[in-house]
Amino acid sequence: MLKLYEPAKLDLKKYIFFTGKGGVGKTSTACATAVTFADRGNKVLLISTDPASNLQDVFETTLDNKGVQIQGVPNLTVLNLDPIQAAYEYKESVVGPYKGKLPESVIKNMEEQLSGACTVEIAAFNEFSNYLTNKELEAKYDYIIFDTAPTGHTLRMLQLPTAWSTFISESQHGASCLGQLAGLEDKKDMYKNAVNNLANAELTTLVLIAKPEYSPLFEASKTSHELKELGVKNQILIINGIFEGDAGLCDISKRLVEKQTTALQNIPEEIRNLPAYKIPLRDYNVTGIEKIRLMLKSNFLTDSSEVVEIKGYHKLNELIGYLHAQNKKVLFTMGKGGVGKTTLAASIALGLIARGEKVHLTTTDPANHLKLLVESTENLTVSSINPEEAVKKYRQDVLEKAKQTMSQEDLSYIEEDLRSPCTQEIAIFNVFASIVDACDEEVVVIDTAPTGHTLLLLDATETYHKEVARIKGDLPDAVKKLLPRLRNAQETEVIIVTLPEATPVYEAQRLEEDLKRAGIHTNWWIVNSSFSLVDTEQPLLTAKAKAERMWINRVYDLAKGHIVLLPWLKENITAKTLPKFFE
Amino acid sequence: MKKIEIFEVALCCSTGVCGPSVNEDLLRITAAVNKINASGGNAICYNLNSNPDVYVKNVIVNELLMKDGETVLPITLLDGIVVKTKAYPSNNELADWSGIALSTDASSNDCGCNSACCGDSESGCC
Repeated sequence: MLKLYEPAKLDLKKYIFFTGKGGVGKTSTACATAVTFADRGNKVLLISTDPASNLQDVFETTLDNKGVQIQGVPNLTVLNLDPIQAAYEYKESVVGPYKGKLPESVIKNMEEQLSGACTVEIAAFNEFSNYLTNKELEAKYDYIIFDTAPTGHTLRMLQLPTAWSTFISESQHGASCLGQLAGLEDKKDMYKNAVNNLANAELTTLVLIAKPEYSPLFEASKTSHELKELGVKNQILIINGIFEGDAGLCDISKRLVEKQTTALQNIPEEIRNLPAYKIPLRDYNVTGIEKIRLMLKSNFLTDSSEVVEIKGYHKLNELIGYLHAQNKKVLFTMGKGGVGKTTLAASIALGLIARGEKVHLTTTDPANHLKLLVESTENLTVSSINPEEAVKKYRQDVLEKAKQTMSQEDLSYIEEDLRSPCTQEIAIFNVFASIVDACDEEVVVIDTAPTGHTLLLLDATETYHKEVARIKGDLPDAVKKLLPRLRNAQETEVIIVTLPEATPVYEAQRLEEDLKRAGIHTNWWIVNSSFSLVDTEQPLLTAKAKAERMWINRVYDLAKGHIVLLPWLKENITAKTLPKFFE
Repeated sequence: MKKIEIFEVALCCSTGVCGPSVNEDLLRITAAVNKINASGGNAICYNLNSNPDVYVKNVIVNELLMKDGETVLPITLLDGIVVKTKAYPSNNELADWSGIALSTDASSNDCGCNSACCGDSESGCC
């Protein structure tokens, strides 16, 4: 039995970092923790680095990146850092001075190379390193709470022992992300101190947050491992949204309890022995100080806000009909992990088969529950890509080639580059490309995709290679062919999958912008796991259903009505239940 | 000692490994430049992203860029004079210019497609 999360009873340190997958409740938990301490008379600074942060809604106050004192919570100051904005400013500071002095094509090349995940990470880390090492703030506040922690990759980047001293200052050949850091060399001491403070168990507590579901728990275990490796060992785990309502009230709630129990019994080894706490599922949106105060204390039955009407939606079957009629050959379900991409890719595949098409379905889902479908259907080929293996193989290939010409010292920087998020995407993308390439006779359904940045990177490199007379280490042919194909809206359909909640919707929106930049057309959105479409008398779930409607309508507007809304499914996904999605 | 300067495009990473494929040219150049410098020579690579300043301040490079755009990169200068554009110098060229022995371009007829012909007639390997 998990203990209730009561911050005041725990030995939380001065710096508290909340980390976890999007949509698990990082922001509300961080807020509730901050308010709890502030109410006890502690001076608290709360800092959000989440671009999708809804801290402004939560506190019903306009925030800035300097710090705003919250009315009604005298001891609490809140600060909202937007890493996307920070990255944009960083990019501008690099590129801006050269506008007009270098041709447009050169500026564009620079901008694109600074639009990647690395830049966002660096800009974000840069900002909060500042807050983590600032002596003035340290003296002023009892607790400094961060919503969103640095990733393992960022930390490793900044920890590279020799990077600053020899590599960056002496060699012009900076490794990717480190190369970008060269401009920030004056901050190297700050970074070092930030990493030291994070790893100091007397100073910092790292809080991993997950929902009682497979995918967020898996993500938490990965983060836990990465951070432990870097010396950040003072970790605790919070499971947010434990359903404690009366399971006897309806079938739905019974199934919800069963699902959650299974997830908790199968909690990954890595985080199994961490001190773990729970926060029960609440039936209200955590907005407003009163509800933040309640969040760690009690339920507050039925939100009294007005019921919003859903503007409209399509059924999955209508989308499948459209894909079939338009004769689409390459289908992607894109979105963040945990939104149900795999299940939907499989449902769409089955729907197309029912209409007489031959389908090749491929996935990177580590759970790979698609295996269940293989035997059951004709005209379906299923393959799966193990992302870890793809990356491992890619790394080996690269290092093998590099060893032929490079010294051991140079190799260590390449090894570091190979841990970057870009590399992982590209490794997986290469495998995807070869699958799509081999499947001219079938419809190919792919359940994950590279980001717009990666696509632009591929494009830039392809163009670049054409200019180089003697090509070495050429782009794989399959990748070359895939790019034009993805941009061809006649042939390819990219479907964005999300959940009816704040963070997943914001994240999906950013994904769409990335794709647009890469010249890839999107049209349909799927909003998965809606409680609005299930029959339940359970008051908690009814309230959840009410709360999600504004997000459904927002997607309706974004997608200009091309929205499929799917119910929360009580069954486990198997070959038998899958067709339910498109019935 | 002659000075070799190579002006590269802006790449996500100059080793090229987080790009879609390993650009062996980038690896080769990294190794060659290190070797030249370690042997008392003078060679330097500029990445547009980390050193945009030099692309503006160097009049020759800037004029070439203004005229032809980024496709003119990489540009190699030898003591300030353009010796190569649109491609990296070979090891043979670098050795000639620097007077420092480098591994020769044994594979100068190899288009990089392992064993088979890649069908790219321009690369001159088939």
